[in-house]
Amino acid sequence: MDYAAQTAVFLLAQFPKLSAGFLITLALSVATIPLALALGLVLLAPRMAKSALARGATMGYVDLMRNTPLLVQIYLIYFGLPVLGFFPSEFSCGVAGIALQHGAFLVETYRAGIEAVSDRQREAARALGMGRLKALRLVILPQALMRILGPLGNQLIVLIKDTSLVSAIGVMELTMTGKVIIERSAASAEIFVAVGLFYLVLTSVVGAAFRLVEHRVAERM
Amino acid sequence: MVVSAPMIDVRNLRKSYGTLEVLKDVTFGVGKGEVVVVLGPSGSGKSTLLRCINHLEDYEGGEIRIDGVTAGYKIGSNGRRAHSEAVNARLREQVGMVFQSFNLFPHRTALENVMMGPVHVRRVPRAEARELARGLLAKVGLAAKADQYPAKLSGGQQQRVAIARALAMQPKVMLFDEVTSALDPELVGEVLRVIRQLAQEGMTMIIVTHEIHFARDVADRIIFMDNGVIVEEGAPEHILANASSDRLRLFLRRFQGDYLAT
Amino acid sequence: MLPVLTGSLPYLLKGAVVTLTLSAAVVGLGTLLGVALGILATTRSRLAGSFVTGYIFVLRGIPVLVVMFLGYYAFPAFGLRVSAYAAVGLAQIVYVGAFVAEITRSAILAVPAGQIAAARSLGMRRAAILSQVILPQAARIAIPPLLNSALTAVKQTSYASVVGVWELTYAAREVVERTLAAFQIFLGVMAIYFLICYPLSLAARWSERRLAFAH
Repeated sequence: MDYAAQTAVFLLAQFPKLSAGFLITLALSVATIPLALALGLVLLAPRMAKSALARGATMGYVDLMRNTPLLVQIYLIYFGLPVLGFFPSEFSCGVAGIALQHGAFLVETYRAGIEAVSDRQREAARALGMGRLKALRLVILPQALMRILGPLGNQLIVLIKDTSLVSAIGVMELTMTGKVIIERSAASAEIFVAVGLFYLVLTSVVGAAFRLVEHRVAERM
Repeated sequence: MVVSAPMIDVRNLRKSYGTLEVLKDVTFGVGKGEVVVVLGPSGSGKSTLLRCINHLEDYEGGEIRIDGVTAGYKIGSNGRRAHSEAVNARLREQVGMVFQSFNLFPHRTALENVMMGPVHVRRVPRAEARELARGLLAKVGLAAKADQYPAKLSGGQQQRVAIARALAMQPKVMLFDEVTSALDPELVGEVLRVIRQLAQEGMTMIIVTHEIHFARDVADRIIFMDNGVIVEEGAPEHILANASSDRLRLFLRRFQGDYLAT
Repeated sequence: MLPVLTGSLPYLLKGAVVTLTLSAAVVGLGTLLGVALGILATTRSRLAGSFVTGYIFVLRGIPVLVVMFLGYYAFPAFGLRVSAYAAVGLAQIVYVGAFVAEITRSAILAVPAGQIAAARSLGMRRAAILSQVILPQAARIAIPPLLNSALTAVKQTSYASVVGVWELTYAAREVVERTLAAFQIFLGVMAIYFLICYPLSLAARWSERRLAFAH
């Protein structure tokens, strides 16, 4: 029991540092999520365009992001931009890397949501005399949005977890903080249990929030 | 027709789903070789009754005996104790069931479906089981479809395979749970023909159905259930021609339109 | 043409071999662990069900990198001297196991209840129902997500470099820090990962199309 008490005291002492790291993790997430969502939207049109070139290019980009590790992409940005004369902060490099990867995944999520709205809905809208754009806005998009919520929530939770990777380029977010604490003090693996707990709380809250929204939206329909 | 001790003996059966009482003190018997048809509106408890008989569901009160042996529970002087799943499985070897949604195994051919029981329950050698299965498929008129997968078969064909599959276990009793309700009208006849043939061969059967003409043809006795209780019971000519309860009249009118007029 | 890349290629390819063996071990053992846990979760034992649910919940809510760090530091804490490679590999196996457990559990639950009723009504026991009815169908349902999970696991082996394990990404960063030829090396390494991952990606997509069968 002496061990438990000692560990508890130690972890509590680290709480301020861990909280600071947690805030950076939050900041990374808050900065990246809108960018990723926006990138996905921007890529949606070419992804579903009639032009085979547009579709091919977008699919190529998505495939590239899907089949290479995010860490290497972040390294490319972090080590590569200075060569070109740009010196963005580590934070920005992390945000850019994560947004570029998740934007690609989100295009597919958006696309799946739209295609899942059955063709019959489209036909029904057209039969009522709606033009393509109106049908899209009033019939297809609302339903697509509802279908997207689940996968979207999951994707954003993955994004939040991926922010841990920017510890590799020195950003003092939660994981890096844990690493620094363990290297500077006599601390042991327990610190990462605390780190894990912080992440767990964050992902659980986000997950629960999404499920709540899904529930409310489903009720409305 | 009816022999001394009933093949199926249901006494004071009570079953609830949570607070909803689905079967309220149901008592009846089915003799060996007898065909009993159960009619009733949805929610009357007919399917639940069947599922209690082969113990796919447990129940709160009452006793069910199959061929003299108490099923599902060991009932003693100081209450009852549930049988293990292994004992229940052995009970189900003797009670065949055919479902409304066929429930064929989609990853096996028709022949393999029929072989499933003998091979994996009775431990019959595969070659022997295959012969038995071929015979049964021929009996239901599907010898040519033995190597087809269920997805390639029509609803009526799938249901006949399901009947053959249940028969492969050589059960003492067959339970039919609305087996034609999910079929297109043109396909109903081929399934009813098989059931009629089984009745003629002397199989003890409980049939839950909406097909009232068929019920009159094949049943030795009709039971009408509503809201978890048996409302009327008797020979088909008697019940269908002179329905004494209002509920049965209403039911018949709904399902047969001008049946009462004929 | 691309002098730094071609010069470092032998070194990088050695890293690629390590990545491949690590990936194979993690995917193989992680999938086995996950399938076992997933099947365990569907037994009648409430204890087993709760354990697996908790296991899945915790591991899916934490970044894999944190699990790797935990693995790396946990062994010395217990006085065990394990190589970084083994410690981080084990951590990743535990992580992959959680995701595969969830996939397996969902696939088993997706087998229509009517078929289990039909199997029971034939007198089949639980073991036979599992092996003859449930698992063959659950396997078909599980294959696309399992392939995707394998793809993710391969990419995640690169994170082991952050914890100090030498593999392809670690080697790449070493070379870049020495030569500053970031574009050549990292793009080249991305190409190597692409070659490793793309077959898996294609297999996943193919399986999604082929194995979706209508009941």
